[in-house]
Amino acid sequence: MENSALAQYAILLGLTLGTVGFVFSLYGLARTIGRARLEPGKDVPATAGTLARDPVWVRYHARYYGYALLFLSFDMEMAFMYPWSVVYRQEGLVALLDMGVFLAILFLGLLYGWSQGALRRQ
Amino acid sequence: MNIVIILLTLAMGVYFIAIVEGWAVHGRISLSRPALSALALFGRESLLVRTPDRLFFEAGPILLLVVGLLAMAVIPLAPGLIITDLATGALFLNAALAYVLVALIMAGWGPNGGYAMIGGWRFLGQFIAYAMLIVMPITAVAMRAESLSTTVIVTSQAQLWNVFYQPIGFVLFVLAAMALAWLPPLDLPNAPGDLAGGFEAEYTGVRLAVLRLARMVIILAMAGAIVTFYLGGWLGPWLPGWLWSIIKMLIVTTAMLTTGRLVPRVREANLLAAGWKLGIPLALANIFLVGVIALVVDI
Repeated sequence: MENSALAQYAILLGLTLGTVGFVFSLYGLARTIGRARLEPGKDVPATAGTLARDPVWVRYHARYYGYALLFLSFDMEMAFMYPWSVVYRQEGLVALLDMGVFLAILFLGLLYGWSQGALRRQ
Repeated sequence: MNIVIILLTLAMGVYFIAIVEGWAVHGRISLSRPALSALALFGRESLLVRTPDRLFFEAGPILLLVVGLLAMAVIPLAPGLIITDLATGALFLNAALAYVLVALIMAGWGPNGGYAMIGGWRFLGQFIAYAMLIVMPITAVAMRAESLSTTVIVTSQAQLWNVFYQPIGFVLFVLAAMALAWLPPLDLPNAPGDLAGGFEAEYTGVRLAVLRLARMVIILAMAGAIVTFYLGGWLGPWLPGWLWSIIKMLIVTTAMLTTGRLVPRVREANLLAAGWKLGIPLALANIFLVGVIALVVDI
C-alpha cells in the first residue's frame, strides 16, 4: 500500500467536493438554458392540484417502533463484531465461544421481544 | 489516473443500467433513450414548491450522489485498480450506505408535500428491515478473510467463492441490497403507481436528473459490493481481471433490475416481519456456520 491512510482520506474528500462541484455546475448549466417561469398554482405540491388540508410536517406514529428499539441494540452489537471478525481466526475457539454467548443472549432478547409482541405493526 | 478510469467505467455502467431498466419497464431496448431523456430533463423547468425546507430539498439529491460515489470508491475492479484501498474498506462501505437513508428522508421532508413525506418515512421502515442484513453477512465475509480491506476480501476467495462458502449470507445480502437501492419488489419509497412518485414527486428538471443518476450509481455500487464480497471480484480464468469484474457486475445488475419485477410489491409491515423473524435468525446462523467452518477447514 503506497498511499498513507491520510492521503486516502484526502482522495475521498476530493471526490466528495468534486461531486458537489459537478452537481452545482450542472445546475448552473441548466439555469443558462432558462429559468422556471412563475405561474399561479405551479408551486403546489403533488396533491391533486390543491393545497393539502393537513400540514405535512407533523408528528407521525412510527408503527414499527418495536423493531426500531431492537434495531438499536443489534446495531450496537455490530460495532463490536467488526473488530472481532478480523481477529477471529487468530483467537480460534475462544473467540467463537465468547461471541457465541454474547449473541445467544442478544438472540434470547429478540425471542423475548417477539413473544411480547414487539415484532408487529403497533 | 485510477480515479479517471473508474469514473469513466462508472459512467458507462450507469448508461448500461439505464438501458436495462428501460428494457425491464417498457419492454424495448433503446440505446439512445437514456441520453434523450437526460437531455429532456435538463431542458425542463426545475420547480421549487411553495414552502420548502430549502436546505433539505437541495441536499437530498447531492448527498445521494456523493454517497454512491464514496461507496464505489472502495470497490476494486482489478488488483490496484481502486480509488482508495482503505484497510477498513468494508466498514467504510457500510458507513457510506447508511447515508442513503438520510438522503431519502431529506428528499422526502424537504418539499413539504404529503406523498414525498410518506415515501421518506416508508424508507425509514424499510431501512430498519434491511440494515442488519447488510452488516451481518459482511461480518461473516470479514471473518473468512481476516480483514476488512476489500482487496484482501477478494483474494481470500481464490480457492472458493464466498457464494459457495456462505450461500445463506449471499441470498440475504442480495435481498438487502435490492431493498437498499429500492428496486422492485422493494420499491416502497417511490412506489410507481402508488405514491405519485413518492420522494421523487416534487423533483423536476435537472434536480430529478441528479436524483436518478445517484440512484443508478447506488445500484452499481451495490452490484460491485455483491461481486466483491461473494462472487470473487476480479478472479476468473483467461480474461483480464478488470473485464471479469465488469462482466460480473453487469450480470448482477441485470438480474437485480429484471427479476424483481416478476414479484408483487412487498408491504413495509411484511418486509419488517420477514426481515426480523426470518432474516436475522438466518444471518446469525450464517455467522455461526462460517465461524465453525473457518476454524475446521483452512480455506
